[in-house]
Amino acid sequence: MAALLSKFRRPRRLNTLVPKPGKSNGDQNNQSQIDPGHASQSRNLSSNIEDNLRSLKGIFHQCSDIIFREFLFAQREQIKLALIYIDGLIDKSQVSDQIIRALSLEVPVATDETTITKKNAWHYIKMRGLCVHQLQESQRLPDIVSAVLSGNCVLLVDGHPNALIVDSRSWAARSIEESKTETVIRGPRESFVETLRTNTSMLRRKIKNPNLKIEVLKLGEVTQTDIAILYINGIANEGLVQEAKKRLSDIKIDAVLDSGYIQELIRDNPNSMFPTISHTDRPDRVAAHLLEGRVAIMVDGTPMVLVAPYLFIEAIQTPEDYYEPAIFMSGVRVLRIISLVIALTLPSLYIAITSFHQEMLPTPLLLSLAAQREAVPLPVFVEAFIMEFAFEIIREAGIRLPREVGQAVSIVAALIIGQAAVQAGLVAGATIIVVALTAMASFTVYYSGSITFRLLRFPLMFLAASFGLFGMIGGIIAMVVYMTSLRSFGVPYLAPLGPTIIGDLKDSAVRVPWWAMHKRPHLIGQNNPQREATGMQPKPPQQKNN
Amino acid sequence: MIKKTICLLVIISLIFPLGGCWSRRELNELAIVLAAGVDSTPEGNIVLTVQIARPNAFGGSQGSQQTGGKVGQNNVWVVSQEGETVQDATRYLESKVFRHIYWSHAVILVLGEQISKEGIRKAINFFSRSPDVRDQTIWVMVARGQARDILNSHSQLETTSAQSIGSIIQKGVGPPVMYKDLSMMLASKGVNPVLPRIELTLSGIPQGPELYENIPEAQNDQQQSTTTHAEVTLTGTAVFNDDRLVGWLDYHETRGLLWLKNQITRGEITVPSPTEPDKKISIDITRGNTQVEPFYDGQNIWFDVLMGLNGALLEQQSKEELTDPQIFAAIEKNTALSMEANARSAIEKAKYDYGVDIFGFGEAFHRKYKDAWPALEDKWDEAFIGADINIKGEVTIRRTGLITNRMSSK
Amino acid sequence: MLEEGRISGGQALMLNITMIIATTLISAPTIVANHARQDAWLAMLLATLLALPIAWITAKLGTLFPTKTLVEYTEDILGKWPGKLLSLLYLLWFINICSVMIREYGNFIVDAFMMETPLMIVNILGTALAAYTVKKGLEVLARVNQIFLPLIIVSILLVFLLALPEMKLERFLPVFEAHWVDIFRGAMAPLTWMGEISTFAMLIPFLVQPGQARHTTVITILLVGLFFTLLVVASVATFGPIIDNMIYPVLSTTRVVNIAQFIERPEPLIMAIWITGGLLKISIFYYVIVLGCAQWLTLKDYRPLVLPVGVILVALSSIVARNILELVHFIAYVWPPYALLTFEFGIPLTLLVIALVRKQGGNGP
Repeated sequence: MAALLSKFRRPRRLNTLVPKPGKSNGDQNNQSQIDPGHASQSRNLSSNIEDNLRSLKGIFHQCSDIIFREFLFAQREQIKLALIYIDGLIDKSQVSDQIIRALSLEVPVATDETTITKKNAWHYIKMRGLCVHQLQESQRLPDIVSAVLSGNCVLLVDGHPNALIVDSRSWAARSIEESKTETVIRGPRESFVETLRTNTSMLRRKIKNPNLKIEVLKLGEVTQTDIAILYINGIANEGLVQEAKKRLSDIKIDAVLDSGYIQELIRDNPNSMFPTISHTDRPDRVAAHLLEGRVAIMVDGTPMVLVAPYLFIEAIQTPEDYYEPAIFMSGVRVLRIISLVIALTLPSLYIAITSFHQEMLPTPLLLSLAAQREAVPLPVFVEAFIMEFAFEIIREAGIRLPREVGQAVSIVAALIIGQAAVQAGLVAGATIIVVALTAMASFTVYYSGSITFRLLRFPLMFLAASFGLFGMIGGIIAMVVYMTSLRSFGVPYLAPLGPTIIGDLKDSAVRVPWWAMHKRPHLIGQNNPQREATGMQPKPPQQKNN
Repeated sequence: MIKKTICLLVIISLIFPLGGCWSRRELNELAIVLAAGVDSTPEGNIVLTVQIARPNAFGGSQGSQQTGGKVGQNNVWVVSQEGETVQDATRYLESKVFRHIYWSHAVILVLGEQISKEGIRKAINFFSRSPDVRDQTIWVMVARGQARDILNSHSQLETTSAQSIGSIIQKGVGPPVMYKDLSMMLASKGVNPVLPRIELTLSGIPQGPELYENIPEAQNDQQQSTTTHAEVTLTGTAVFNDDRLVGWLDYHETRGLLWLKNQITRGEITVPSPTEPDKKISIDITRGNTQVEPFYDGQNIWFDVLMGLNGALLEQQSKEELTDPQIFAAIEKNTALSMEANARSAIEKAKYDYGVDIFGFGEAFHRKYKDAWPALEDKWDEAFIGADINIKGEVTIRRTGLITNRMSSK
Repeated sequence: MLEEGRISGGQALMLNITMIIATTLISAPTIVANHARQDAWLAMLLATLLALPIAWITAKLGTLFPTKTLVEYTEDILGKWPGKLLSLLYLLWFINICSVMIREYGNFIVDAFMMETPLMIVNILGTALAAYTVKKGLEVLARVNQIFLPLIIVSILLVFLLALPEMKLERFLPVFEAHWVDIFRGAMAPLTWMGEISTFAMLIPFLVQPGQARHTTVITILLVGLFFTLLVVASVATFGPIIDNMIYPVLSTTRVVNIAQFIERPEPLIMAIWITGGLLKISIFYYVIVLGCAQWLTLKDYRPLVLPVGVILVALSSIVARNILELVHFIAYVWPPYALLTFEFGIPLTLLVIALVRKQGGNGP
């Protein structure tokens, strides 16, 4: 028996491409070698350009996209220059015109050639020769490597143990487009792109204030991704900013490919279904949140910006609410709340009422439901469950499918599920209506909020099928209790509902006009609560009595 | 942590299937009762008749395509069962009806004439005790003859006769009595119950072939039974002494009863014209209101009843000039007299034929003379017979329809 | 301190209201109308008036010992062992209330909505849900209550608004028909429910400002009195004095709602109200029991007690009464003198007198 067990436990080579342990030597510290700065840890440049080039070539061994361009300064054989950059990340015309051409051809024309020596070449290059906007110096090899990797040109000068880092970054990037995830009818249309710098510039254009702080750090041992923390000094709570920075600096991970990585690593309740950090690709949304005192986290390489803290109430708020007239948008908010309730409870309510509490239906409705159900072979619960499941499949297929076949899928889905299932007597028409309404309702609210509700719908349906309304309401109560116990960066998740904050209810089920929203959200912006002057309600001009 | 979660999941998954066994009932396991009727047998047992909806007949597109040609046929299944109590009969019924007998949507409860005479308390208790039954909103009425025949009928307009009867009752031709009203009337010593009386009457000829009815009067006449249709009709009021049926009120007396109970919602009063007594004028009731004021001097009891009516003149056979204020006042006076006559006939019937207070005068008395009431409450009906009732009608005709004087008059 | 959370005055007020109205609101009118018939509303007003001293005593004791709960200050007032004994009696009383409540809770759901389901299952599920809430602590309980209580009150008012066409004011006549003794007897049951405010003594030290206790209790009683009176008025106006035979008159009131053949049968609302309200109320008492036990045993954390106390509550709930009639009888006739004379009014008054005589308490008058 023991032998059998030990046989099971014997480590097997699951991946045959992995070398057998012990055979390779020196691979033990693979992990630390992956750090791009490792090979040259704490090494500095020497004054011999050949040495420097050799060590850099060693580091960039087998990196076919690295270009080493060697040329002469001012046509002098003894002053050798080397330009190192990554093909595809630099502006080619800038590099050839403003660097190579300027240094090799134009400097001798503009300067008295005799004064150029190997010794003062550095000065000439830096102060006279280069026609570029941003220039840095470094003599540390790791800095140079990372500069090259992030798209800069590195210029090595023979005889000088320093390198010039020229900003000539330019790469193919998506242009700014309309937001695909949160569309609005009224309001700014731009959305974030994958480039961090473009994103920060979009925010800076909206908030022209030195108090908008953008702090950058690098995360991901392999990827070395740039992360920016944004907040407005004087509005954001100090503790919140500190906490966000602390949580970020605690991260040790190999790669950060999307802000989703960060989101999962810094959230308050790691096992919770409910999102406690929001993500958006709309600059106006982020700007509004920053102005309320929140903190935003941008990750290079993704248009999705994280904002914390995220409260549950935000699921029914959209940027548009603040641009369109208040009364109208208040109505829409109520609509969204109703949709949220429908998305969560309608299928379970349907199950509970049709299989437990038929007395709650009006008689004609009951008779017509009974007629529809007469031929259906399945219990309501199974029927509703299958239809909900089918809808989720269609929805998922709709997202994953190439756009060209999407049309076909929706037709098939509508035909099969809408028409045929009812006509075949497999499903009651009412069930289809319930499922369709639920599905539509779930799309009216903030997407990642509604994902949770879509998921919670299923346990609620189970409860409703087992205990009727009692089970369903019990389930909802348990859910609310759980949500109440959550916090997002110290802020109770259900605020301003529980704990009730009367002042913040102005921006919940209703949205009061701008002249009445004097204060920032109480629990988030208490550092600087006043948002605007009071008494700004527009009035007709006062007629002066003579 | 993981152990805990697994334990929890196991417990939850054990609980779920348990729940399903108890109260869950699929729609297609229900026999939805729309109407219930209670009759009695000579042996003193109870015959329960239920009208059960056949769901197939109520369907949307599919259902109506199949049964659309036969309106009123096979929408329901009427089945009767004898038992010692209503609950007992229901249980026996379950041996015929394999689905669960589901009471919550019963619209009407019809009591047979015979059992009403024996006392309705033995027939109705089940309906307020069972949580299945919508006790408060079920309409209660008395059938002339057997309740079973009423349930066996069908309606020409509605899909079931139960729904049709329910709507007729609500219209206020007779006293609309919900179960809760009946139990309040039974509980109170100041009023005796009244219930609407329904019966089957010949009402028109069905416009389709193969439709024939089970009309008691027409059974011997083959030709009539194949061509006439009997519709359930509200024909008056059943008067009870406590829980026993003692007699009926006809249509006009019922109007009087409704006036006195302040339950007039709509209706019409036809009076002779002041100038041409053989021609008639009809007043439509817009609003009616009755005030009952009791008086008691320690010896005699009398009531002042003031019936106010707001109406509209909607038909005129005669051709007098309505623009003449005197004629108009005379019409109003005639109307008031007619109302008073109706009310008086109802009171006389109640007083002298049946000897019961069905109008709630006792309750009005109780409200005003709470100290004198305890002495009178047990013999209130006698006191009521001895009481004087002064009735006064006040009629205001506010409108005359779309025209003033007749256009056809010369 | 066992409980880290703090609640605001508003939250405490709402907890108190839930603590009193939640389970009683379904059957309140019946018990009152039993004695006072159509004068039930007078009995309710009288009860409100009589409940004010109870509220005042509770708050006064609480402000004398602003950092201690009932279980703790009995020891200060009476000495260690007599105090412990009294606290134990109080805890047993809380357990008694709570188990009766669980029974009432389960009974209503089973009677009115789920005939075939065993009572025990409903009780277990309800208690489990309450246990979950209790485990999350006082702050969560207060917040959940803040979310649900307004919904409960609005729905009840809505239901009555819908039932308005069925109501007749003349059903209240004649006024003062009941003898004043009957009115007084009718007032006893609601007075006992309002007297449950004395449970608040367990929560006063967790107020952000314990000084607010006095306003909180008095306002609670006034609001609850108003609310109960409204309930009674609505039920009597719909059915008249016959409500004294109904077990759940408020449910029956909702059943008559029928507006334009469209808005009818709003019972899901009533059911939802009952399930949430009852659950919150059970959770509050459950919390008080668990917290009190932990303080009595001088434990460091109350959470380990949640499960055992829950088992006791469920077990007791099935043996407190044999059937619904016994339960109603217990609530209407046995409970008032038993609870009122001892735990709600008698003992707190004695404690207060002793404390005042001995000039105890942090910030005495």
